[in-house]
Amino acid sequence: MIASADLQQLLARVALGDRVAFRQLYDATAPSLFGVALRIVRQRDRAEEVLQDAFVNAWNRAAGYQAALSQPMTWLTAIVRNRALDELRSGARHRAESLEDQRSGTAPVHEDERANPLKLLEQAADALAIRDCLDTIDGPQRQCLALVYYHGLSHSEVAGHVGSPIGSVKVWLRRGLEKLKRCLELLA
Amino acid sequence: MNYDRPELLDRLAAEYVFGTMSARVRRRFQKIQRALPAAQQAVHVWEQRLTPLAQSVPPAQPSAAAWAAIDRRTGGQASRPVAPASAWFAWLKPALGVAFGVLATLGLIRLYPTAVVPVDQIVQQRGTLPESYVGLLTDAANNPVVLASSTRYGRTMSIKILRKVDVPPGKVLQLWALPKEGAAFPLGVVPSEGKGSFQMADTSEKLLSSVPRLAVSVEDAPARAGTAPAPYLLTGNCVKLW
Repeated sequence: MIASADLQQLLARVALGDRVAFRQLYDATAPSLFGVALRIVRQRDRAEEVLQDAFVNAWNRAAGYQAALSQPMTWLTAIVRNRALDELRSGARHRAESLEDQRSGTAPVHEDERANPLKLLEQAADALAIRDCLDTIDGPQRQCLALVYYHGLSHSEVAGHVGSPIGSVKVWLRRGLEKLKRCLELLA
Repeated sequence: MNYDRPELLDRLAAEYVFGTMSARVRRRFQKIQRALPAAQQAVHVWEQRLTPLAQSVPPAQPSAAAWAAIDRRTGGQASRPVAPASAWFAWLKPALGVAFGVLATLGLIRLYPTAVVPVDQIVQQRGTLPESYVGLLTDAANNPVVLASSTRYGRTMSIKILRKVDVPPGKVLQLWALPKEGAAFPLGVVPSEGKGSFQMADTSEKLLSSVPRLAVSVEDAPARAGTAPAPYLLTGNCVKLW
């Protein structure tokens, strides 16, 4: 993984329209960012559209990137996640197509690319040394937080997943997010 | 709603960044962000907070078409220093003899030395090896058996067999890439002795940038993408030579 300071250098050059730096930035970050997009939109071609839009956006907005405010990967990941969530929320039609494609095998998303979201949350918590805090969050609540964050499930999908009314799920997720926030604030 | 209330903005920003908002509410909150710096700031705080969680997501390799589209959409068709050498060489080849002659050849040699000049000449000229991916595969007794190498933006994988491999009649030796994340994928078929080479599906940079290991198995026929390998006969590290 390329160092954050190197990515900052590349972004600074991208802001000046340096295409070589842009390609280097892409090579260094695209696989991680594509992984994030793929999990949310669930279909390779849609994830590639998200990745394309995100990098075009990054190219256009690089001059506005402020190194003092965020790490390059945070900045880029936020662009990708936002675009992926917009894409996912833009219509249930795509979701239905995607799931159908997975069944028929026309656009397979490998199982290893769809690993258990709770496991991802736990791995992230381990890497950030906040696992103890994460473990204080109720198990099913943790599972739902992970499904929302990594797979982009909506309130109604979470409600369907746990078989509870949407109103209760909203309150439940909000409280879960508050707890998660407290855990993540331990990092600061 | 009164968007002057920081606690309301914080809650909306959390839901926006976390991803639970519906399409309609997302669009509305995006408008609010554009109009209200405090909303933008609240989103920024939540992005800082939650993004570290994304680091555990395994990377995945996008297709080469993704970069081509980004390059095109950002007006960079002529991003020559990083374009795959082979594509440019193919385009320039007919022109070389006719119009540009010696000048263009010299320019190309400077830009893409490995496309036009044997690697060993460059090495002698520069005193350093070109940017390449190199794999050294060993057998169970740790004897070096296969040396695989390819220049960074090239598509040709060169193979040197350091120790003859016994392959049953009708079988082939299949070279596999073992990425950090995900399943092994086939690169090509290697000879059982001597030297050889094959064309890969994409450039080394695209295929091997997150591949720390290579392996060789004995297969009935050249493996296609998506098939599972037979037990590995040889394995080894794949390293970047730059």
